[in-house]
Amino acid sequence: MSVKVRLHPCLRNFSDGRQEVEAVGQTIGECIDDLESKFPGIRQQLCDDGCKLLTKYDIHINGRSSYPEELAKLVKAGDELTILTFVAEG
Amino acid sequence: MTTGEELRRYERQMIIEGFGREGQERLKQTRVVVAGAGGLGSVVSIYLTVAGVGKIRLIDHDRVELGNLNRQILYGNRDIGRRKVDSAKEKLESLNPEVKVEIVSEAILEDNAFELVDDCDLIVDAMDNFTTRYILNKVAINRDIPFFHGAVRGFEGRATTIIPGQTACLKCLYTRAPQPEPAPVVGVAPAVIGSIQATEVVKYIVGIGDLLTNRLLIYDGLSLEFMEMKLKRRPDCEECQHLTEGRE
Repeated sequence: MSVKVRLHPCLRNFSDGRQEVEAVGQTIGECIDDLESKFPGIRQQLCDDGCKLLTKYDIHINGRSSYPEELAKLVKAGDELTILTFVAEG
Repeated sequence: MTTGEELRRYERQMIIEGFGREGQERLKQTRVVVAGAGGLGSVVSIYLTVAGVGKIRLIDHDRVELGNLNRQILYGNRDIGRRKVDSAKEKLESLNPEVKVEIVSEAILEDNAFELVDDCDLIVDAMDNFTTRYILNKVAINRDIPFFHGAVRGFEGRATTIIPGQTACLKCLYTRAPQPEPAPVVGVAPAVIGSIQATEVVKYIVGIGDLLTNRLLIYDGLSLEFMEMKLKRRPDCEECQHLTEGRE
């Protein structure tokens, strides 16, 4: 199933500058795999060697945080994923 | 009651449709906590002061350092070594002596947070760490006080307006805190986000416009883009789930 993925600016060098891309999968992890097939290198940017999401990223499904076990979270057709980094300074 | 001098000081904003003397009087009657007197706190407190908010309680326990001056526009070279709140009070009162500026030079902790926001109507999150932000979020939820969140990093920023029981809270949005680390910041990032927070506060008090509720504003200064993410409350949110029933 196809979902919309909104990318943080730091990931757009993988997507030819596009802010929004499509991905296919039943979980966030599968969607990242699909993104990797289209935009090589993006998975390594997002995940560690053990295929866990790096702690500096936060992925939201339709405006709700997917933490914890982000990559195992189920998605459905039409969902919107937003990949953000944490911003904490004041 | 708004005085003759105040009418002249605020005339350019009072002629905004929907603002008027009534809106100005509301500003004058409002007590706002600004938590943090750094990059965001500088901008928020300056704009709330010149807008004529009645009372600002500024909380920060740091002293001014040279490394603050690229972004913390309340301070200059002569303030280095002084308590931030002392320098800030002088600056804010020189901008608008009509505004009562209370200062608190204490760290915001679980133990004192409820006391620190006593008698205040709104809380502005101008902190530099999530530990304190979560404490303030908890206080806002439990005291039913609107909470205006902002954060920056590099050229980036985020902002959202939290109305307890009606919108996603900070714990709905960020279920875990990032690791604390020294982060890059250029002064124009808190200038943008602090101005947005102050805009939200003024709109909320006056009662005009649409608030940044259930929306996270994502600002990227490098590409000069604003993006929004719609937010939803988490039914299992440890902080605000008890407010769910009957409030949405």
